[in-house]
Amino acid sequence: MTQATTQPAMNTNKMTNVPLMEVKNLAVSFDNGSGPRIQAVDGVRMTVYPNQTLAVVGESGCGKSVTAMSSMQLIPRPPGRFDRGEIIYRMENGEKVNLLTRTEHEMRSVRGNEIAMIFQEPMTSLNPVYTVGDQIIEAITLHQDVSAKEAWKIAVKSMDDVGIPDPEGRMKAYPHQFSGGMRQRVMIAMALACQPRLLLADEPTTALDVTIQAQILELIKDLKATRDMGVILITHDLGVVAENADVVCVMYAGRVVEYANVYDLFDNPRHPYTRGLLASIPKIGTEHDRLITIDEIVDNPEEFKKLPGADKGVTPWWPWNDAPDDLVRLDQPAGDYCLQEVAKDHWVGVWHTKGVVGDESPAPQLHYRVVDNA
Amino acid sequence: MPSVSSPNTQPEPESVPALSVPTRHRDNPLTRSKPALIGFAFLALMFFACLGSLPWTLSAADSSVSGVPRYDTGEPKSGRLPPQWWPYDEIDTSRSIAAVDKAALAQIATAHNSTIDEILDGSNEPAAKAALAQAPAFILGSDTLGRSLAVRILTGGGISLTIGICAAFISVGIGTIYGAFAAYMGGKVDAIMMRIVDVLYGLPYILLVVLLAVASNAMLDEYQSRARTKTNWSINQIIDTQSLDSGDPLTKSEARIIFETDAVIQDELMLQAVQIYPRRVFSAGTRTTLDVLTLLIAIGGVSWLTMARVIRGQVLSLKNQPFIEAARALGSPGHRVFIRHLLPNLVGPIVVYATLAVPQAILQESFLSFLGIGVKPPLPSWGNLAAEGLSELNTFRSHWWLLFFPCALLGMTLLAMNFVGEGLREAFDPKRSR
Repeated sequence: MTQATTQPAMNTNKMTNVPLMEVKNLAVSFDNGSGPRIQAVDGVRMTVYPNQTLAVVGESGCGKSVTAMSSMQLIPRPPGRFDRGEIIYRMENGEKVNLLTRTEHEMRSVRGNEIAMIFQEPMTSLNPVYTVGDQIIEAITLHQDVSAKEAWKIAVKSMDDVGIPDPEGRMKAYPHQFSGGMRQRVMIAMALACQPRLLLADEPTTALDVTIQAQILELIKDLKATRDMGVILITHDLGVVAENADVVCVMYAGRVVEYANVYDLFDNPRHPYTRGLLASIPKIGTEHDRLITIDEIVDNPEEFKKLPGADKGVTPWWPWNDAPDDLVRLDQPAGDYCLQEVAKDHWVGVWHTKGVVGDESPAPQLHYRVVDNA
Repeated sequence: MPSVSSPNTQPEPESVPALSVPTRHRDNPLTRSKPALIGFAFLALMFFACLGSLPWTLSAADSSVSGVPRYDTGEPKSGRLPPQWWPYDEIDTSRSIAAVDKAALAQIATAHNSTIDEILDGSNEPAAKAALAQAPAFILGSDTLGRSLAVRILTGGGISLTIGICAAFISVGIGTIYGAFAAYMGGKVDAIMMRIVDVLYGLPYILLVVLLAVASNAMLDEYQSRARTKTNWSINQIIDTQSLDSGDPLTKSEARIIFETDAVIQDELMLQAVQIYPRRVFSAGTRTTLDVLTLLIAIGGVSWLTMARVIRGQVLSLKNQPFIEAARALGSPGHRVFIRHLLPNLVGPIVVYATLAVPQAILQESFLSFLGIGVKPPLPSWGNLAAEGLSELNTFRSHWWLLFFPCALLGMTLLAMNFVGEGLREAFDPKRSR
């Protein structure tokens, strides 16, 4: 089933064939005052295509948000620092730029215009002293050379697009007059008003109840398809992932531990951590005295011997494990880790042993579920 | 008698007891606080009376005597008279009558078949009464120079309130910009800027105000007399003449020694210098305005420290609010985030602090004027009126009105401002109890 739905060759839309953004070997660290620097992410690789949703899952502090924020250069520096790697973004005119090395001035034309971000807390992500209309119009006038009247029209239209009833009237309302779901819609309207080509949704539905959550995610899904937009969906919720993602990137401790398309990942998790995550979801109809924890799986050495090529020494990377003896250390912080394609279109973070080939593996590339526009 | 209901009729439906809905406190939190409301009313009155009457009090009292404003107009003969509604004792009466115009006094004397002397010593009572009716009367009494205390208090109030408000504006302006900038930049800039504030905090502010006032005074004096310009010109003259005489030019310091030691040369040159650089003359109004301006800049310039700290704290917490990050994520440039997203959120604390800074500035002005380095006489302010009143207070004749009225008005105004400030603070406080 998984193979049947993966049809990279049957791609009629030329644009969707080209990666929108590639994160290559990204490492970001933070100053910890007196202590050693904290390595937030290291050796992270991922690729987003237009009209594709890449879900990034993992527990709190695993580097999901840092990766997303890095691509907007919204990491406060100092204390933050880009140690290595690059984030290659293909601009609208086809030019490829490295987002990490752009100046603040250059970033401004990217932020909001090319890449938009939806934040986690809809309650506090809107400025309380301005009407929502003002804030959407500001987003528009920052990047588009339009008159006030036109900006108003665009703002009303984008409010309408995200399903806010009576958008004309609501333009004059203040954020506190909106419910959480409505505010998140406003945030999305703001993010989409400038027709970005990549949307970073950082836990867009965490603060919302499940009904609103479903509506918001459906909305993002629709907009992705109609605007041929790439989406990076950061979430904790595997249910959300299963419903909305095309490609899933599982992160742990600042590393990508597994990267595959959504069906592959759920049907055939290769990394013990992913298995642990999936096993820890309670299922209706089964009875447990207590739920399975991730620890139970990652503490079991047998779980680490199930990868294809395990006999050659390919072992899933895990920060608590002792590194294998035949580790090929490279002269870089994450030199003992690399992302390896263990099966077709299925990458797993492994220890960099002799059995693992190559140290500069490219960002995993997965075309998935290309919409037939014809 | 119990009513007998027929079996056909429906039982009377029991009336549903009305739910007791708590009355909603939707009213304005500012007007809910009575002290704030009363304070606001009092302040409005004070502002209207003091600032509204400034054109009248500052204008010349008598068009024939040009230049002497109404607050400075008085007849020393009618000095130190108590308020007109206060029972006069014998001395007050006789001094009051003595202040009556001689011609009018003569007229009364002839009308009552008496002499001026009889009226003055009070032996002819009806005549003395008639004379007293013509005597100058002051609603709040008069000061040593016979000036109306009421007029002086109004003028003084206008000056004090103006200085208070302007100084508060200056301090709030500097404090907001400084604190917000420090917090927004963060890191080393923040650290250095706030350490400067700490150092300034350590210095006694009154010393700074005095220094600023003295320095600006010296600068104004120098500007007027041009002493340095004249000296430099004289020294250059000495150098020129010497080099013409001997061909061996003097150095500047040598010429200065000659200028300073030889009194004859000095006097001669200075006389010439005055011809070339005459004294710049300010009109009385200009110099007064400049003095007041100096004072309010000095007060405003030293009282922004607290504001800077308050605003810095606010900005530090605001800076990490998601909406600021969201604005950056939209591509807003830094200064735009600062001006459009950060500052409007600071309006609450700024307004509250400003209302509390006004009374503080007024108090500082009064304090400085009381010490004699603030508003300079004859221009009145509540502070120097009180100082004047205090000096008139003595054990055998208390001219109490001179001290009481300025102090009472000052105290009441400060209290009212604090009530209003407190009311505003409460109104802006999100955690206020309902």
